[in-house]
Amino acid sequence: MNRKSRFSNTALKAVIIVCAGFVIGILNNTFSRNGIELIGERGNKTVSDSLIVPHDYQPDAPEVVNLSQALESFKSREVVFLDCRLKEDYDLGHISGAVNLPWEEFEEYYPQLKSSLLESRGIIAYCDGDECELSLLLARELAELGYENVKIFFGGWVEWKKAGLPIEK
Amino acid sequence: MKLLKDIFTDKHTALVFRVVLGIIFVYASMDKIAHPQDFSQIIYNYKILPSFLVNIFAITLPWVELICGLFLIGGIFLESSSLLIFILLLVFTIATSFNVFIRGIDIQCGCFTTSLVAKKQGVELVIRDLLFLLMSLQVFLFNRNFATLPGFYQRILYRWLLK
Repeated sequence: MNRKSRFSNTALKAVIIVCAGFVIGILNNTFSRNGIELIGERGNKTVSDSLIVPHDYQPDAPEVVNLSQALESFKSREVVFLDCRLKEDYDLGHISGAVNLPWEEFEEYYPQLKSSLLESRGIIAYCDGDECELSLLLARELAELGYENVKIFFGGWVEWKKAGLPIEK
Repeated sequence: MKLLKDIFTDKHTALVFRVVLGIIFVYASMDKIAHPQDFSQIIYNYKILPSFLVNIFAITLPWVELICGLFLIGGIFLESSSLLIFILLLVFTIATSFNVFIRGIDIQCGCFTTSLVAKKQGVELVIRDLLFLLMSLQVFLFNRNFATLPGFYQRILYRWLLK
């Protein structure tokens, strides 16, 4: 076989493999229980602007942001997202790039994070969702420690995940 | 140096590389096939593909990996499957490098404590990808169709016919 026909033979078989993968993948996805939509609308989703505020929120507490504000800050990459849930929950999934600072183990975790928090331009604390008030407690504590730009994203993990925004494990 | 060259161009080396790469690709595809939602999220996070292509990619790419991996192990369409693996690895390497060297800087500006660790892992990832790339190239160039399933069956067939 000369070089040219050998190359086109290889290319043809490569195309066959890709097509086979494509067809099997789509078939499997159609019939599988955890199949997903072929064309996702991820990222183009309109983010709800409803502001979720803690039940016992007091005016002097740190500012509460809604999902789209949290997303803006996330995109600017200038603030640190603090996940104040337990490490087990954090490990199961959290906002991309978020740092874990469990409220229950504040004393233990805080010293390690102190230097990076002091350097950051802002902090957004969040926990599970509107049932969880750890973020409020944590943000209040940080504000008392002298941090200025501390905010609370009260919609938390649940709202973030529901909106299909970047997460990591 | 000559010994090194001999080893690199040897068909036995190609066999070892082929099986190792094949197992890695099959293993890597399993989890992605089982969790398309998570995988699509990962692809999305790379922020390289337009979002309407993300899911299609997440659905089909693992299967191409699986087929290539199996073909590589069995020595079926060896040139094509090693070429495809090479191309896939090339794409992965470029995507990871993009993430590490461009987004890595961003992460540092965000002042995360984990950023240094993450960056180190990223560089390791790129080095590992480059190593796999070299292996796949070796298989593509020097496999000589050694120890393949089709060859094996062909031989059995000949033996049977010549009896």
